Amino acid sequence: MSLAIELKSITKRFGSFVANEDVNLAVESGKIHAIIGENGAGKTTLMNVLFGLLQPDEGEIWIDGEKKVLPNPAAAIAAGIGMVHQHFKLVPSLTVAENVFLGMEIRKGGLIDHAAQIKRTAELSKQFGLQVDPTERVGLLSVGIEQRIEILKVLARGARIIILDEPTAVLTPQESRELFQTLRGFVAQGMTVIFISHHLEEVMEVSDNVSVLRLGKNVASRPTAELTKSDLVQLMVGRLVSFDRLPRVASAGKTVLEVEDLWARDDRRLPALRGVSFGVRAGEIVGIAGVAGNGQTELAEVLSGLRPSSYGAIKLNGRTITGLSAREIRAAGVGHVPGDRLVRGVDRNASISMNLLMGRQDQSPWSTHGIINRSYLLEQTQSLIKRFDIRARGPESTAKSLSGGNIQKIVLAREFTGSADCLLIDQPTRGVDIGAQEQIHGEIMRQRDAGKAILLISVQLDELIRLADRILVMFGGTIMGEIPGDRVDEEEIGMLMAGVVPEPHSNTVGAA
Amino acid sequence: MSDRFDSLFGQTLAILFALGLGALVILTVDESPVRVFLTLLNGAFGSPERIAGTLLQTTPILICGIAACISFRGGLFNIGIEGQLFMGGFWATWVGFSFNLPPALHLLLAMAAAVIAGMAWIAIPAFFRARYKTNEVVSTILANYVAILFTSYLTINWFKRSGGQSETPPIFESAYLPELFSFSRLNWGLIIGLALAVGVYLFFTRTARGYAVSEMGANPKFAEYGGIDIKKQTFLVLIASGAVGGLAGGVEALGVHHRFMEGFAPGFGFDGVIAALLANGNPIGTIFTALFFGALRSGSLLLEVDTTASREIITVIQALIILAVSAQITIRRKASDSTAGERRWKF
Repeated sequence: MSLAIELKSITKRFGSFVANEDVNLAVESGKIHAIIGENGAGKTTLMNVLFGLLQPDEGEIWIDGEKKVLPNPAAAIAAGIGMVHQHFKLVPSLTVAENVFLGMEIRKGGLIDHAAQIKRTAELSKQFGLQVDPTERVGLLSVGIEQRIEILKVLARGARIIILDEPTAVLTPQESRELFQTLRGFVAQGMTVIFISHHLEEVMEVSDNVSVLRLGKNVASRPTAELTKSDLVQLMVGRLVSFDRLPRVASAGKTVLEVEDLWARDDRRLPALRGVSFGVRAGEIVGIAGVAGNGQTELAEVLSGLRPSSYGAIKLNGRTITGLSAREIRAAGVGHVPGDRLVRGVDRNASISMNLLMGRQDQSPWSTHGIINRSYLLEQTQSLIKRFDIRARGPESTAKSLSGGNIQKIVLAREFTGSADCLLIDQPTRGVDIGAQEQIHGEIMRQRDAGKAILLISVQLDELIRLADRILVMFGGTIMGEIPGDRVDEEEIGMLMAGVVPEPHSNTVGAA
Repeated sequence: MSDRFDSLFGQTLAILFALGLGALVILTVDESPVRVFLTLLNGAFGSPERIAGTLLQTTPILICGIAACISFRGGLFNIGIEGQLFMGGFWATWVGFSFNLPPALHLLLAMAAAVIAGMAWIAIPAFFRARYKTNEVVSTILANYVAILFTSYLTINWFKRSGGQSETPPIFESAYLPELFSFSRLNWGLIIGLALAVGVYLFFTRTARGYAVSEMGANPKFAEYGGIDIKKQTFLVLIASGAVGGLAGGVEALGVHHRFMEGFAPGFGFDGVIAALLANGNPIGTIFTALFFGALRSGSLLLEVDTTASREIITVIQALIILAVSAQITIRRKASDSTAGERRWKF
């Protein structure tokens, strides 16, 4: 079997961060090769290296048995590689054919030969089963068709090896199935497809071979048929490190947060939560595990009032808070550490003290009669900087001048020192160094011991095992099962994360 | 602090660059750039009367600039200040000549009419921006044309002074905004503008509501997460900006012209927007940029008397400044905000 692509010992660093470390990858020609891994595992970086968008610090790229250096995407395209990005780059006011040939227009006598472009687009469309009307304006088309146009652009440039970065992230299930059909058509015509995803189902369905990236390394490359979904989960999240579970005394009190049959949609208006029910008691940490993108983010957003629910009830201390605004939910006693800390959690250009003020600017003594109490704010900022060990030059340092861990400590310092009974904590240590992780975990435990009801969402299993009293596993917008935090069975949790309900008395399933 | 210094330094450099280019343009009409710039300086600051004249031109630009600052700070872009100024000017005049009231009360009512007219004129764009995220830049610009033509229509067809040109009857003296000196039409409008600048600055730096507006402008997702009602606040910020825009028209009508006519206060609204942009949305900085534009306008009066250059050279220089400043803003944004574009306007 000949290899379309061979990457040898690719290493790519950004400053001190290693995005890809000694990655070897062999892609057979005429096959669909899936690359799977969690967010931040280095998939996109690796593909950008292959497409000439990034230069590797070490390693070699071989294409069709020849060693290549790809200083820019043009070189990659010349070598027969095409890339369909996650975010489309189309001009809405131009027609399909004009978009396909944008930058490489077919010319006749110094003018664009529209007829030839339309004809060529129609031919490609027919040959590869990508139905489009070449004369239609792109602005009027659906996302699924836009993606077809992106693929046609790549084909028109003569690609034989096509990379698709999370192609299904923007598609409906129906559109995804049509895409898979198209991809199978490509390999039937001798082309090679590299398919990036973090959705297990799709990978199992469409790929011939799969490589799993974890923390920048290629941890496995196998034929897809040899693996089960739970194998993939285990490869993606890693074997459970024996992270010490933090000592605790059982202290769960009355139920603070109660969620009943909650439904909600994601940004594409597809169901993201499908009937989620659970409760969180005072002095208890309930963990939410799952592969990223299974409704966890939406759950946190709905509970904090940032996303509407479509059905179901949320109760806080027995009072229904469904449908209240973010402000009202805050006032009712919910604190929120958002998963996308730089987007929602802070204003990067504002000082630490201004970031600590958010949400309480109308409350005494932070302000009196609408005037911010500057001396109180400064005093509080200094004491919070000390208490949460925020490493900064002073209260006026901007958030963006701090490291990820210290920015997260600002968010914690704000959310943990209010009057909240219930804390929603989403990915508390994503992108945070080990030292700060320790401190953040300690802070979360202190909140638990102080009697707060804590919902902890994390894609890192070890973090959940360390902190959570109970772990709920989410898959496809539902809760697949519950596992006590002190008796986590690796295999069982892996299967739940893959959407498989383990049979109680079987010991044959999921063997790796 | 260093941010503030950087931006001040950058703006100064941009203006110098624009003046340099302007010098080249002046050379093409066979005039000496040095002579033109000296004449401008002399025309703007050569005597107490000329200084007062400059301040008279500065006043509406300053107030319009404050209106722009309010919207910029909230991450919004009110380009309809020209229209709000025309509406404010017309309705203040209307109250001024339609009623005969005791002095202080009359002035107060006429000013209130200006403010209400400005608010009413931005209400529709503000509602659509808040409710449906309609681009406020487009809708407020369009509203300008309607305002200018509508006030012109009202003046000519309904309220034209008999026998005169296209202008309304003069307002009663009871609605005059008092003058500051005997030798100039410079009036209390300047004091109102300066007080507004300081007040708006303190609002944004010291109050809880000002903080909420600033954070909405800086990172709307953060503000939403923190419990700020984005829709309501967007509406209110635009209304406040429109109110100040209307006030600028009232000040111009009640303090300077004492009537409303076609071509009333041309371009002050746009100059105000540019003055605020140059000052990075800082109301205190806007005092100085407005003064700069006021000086250009007032200095240009002497230009045609003393040199062969035409007044339009001022428009060219202004255009060059806008170009230089916007290029500089773009470059700075690229350099500093490469990771996320959450901040639409830097202050």
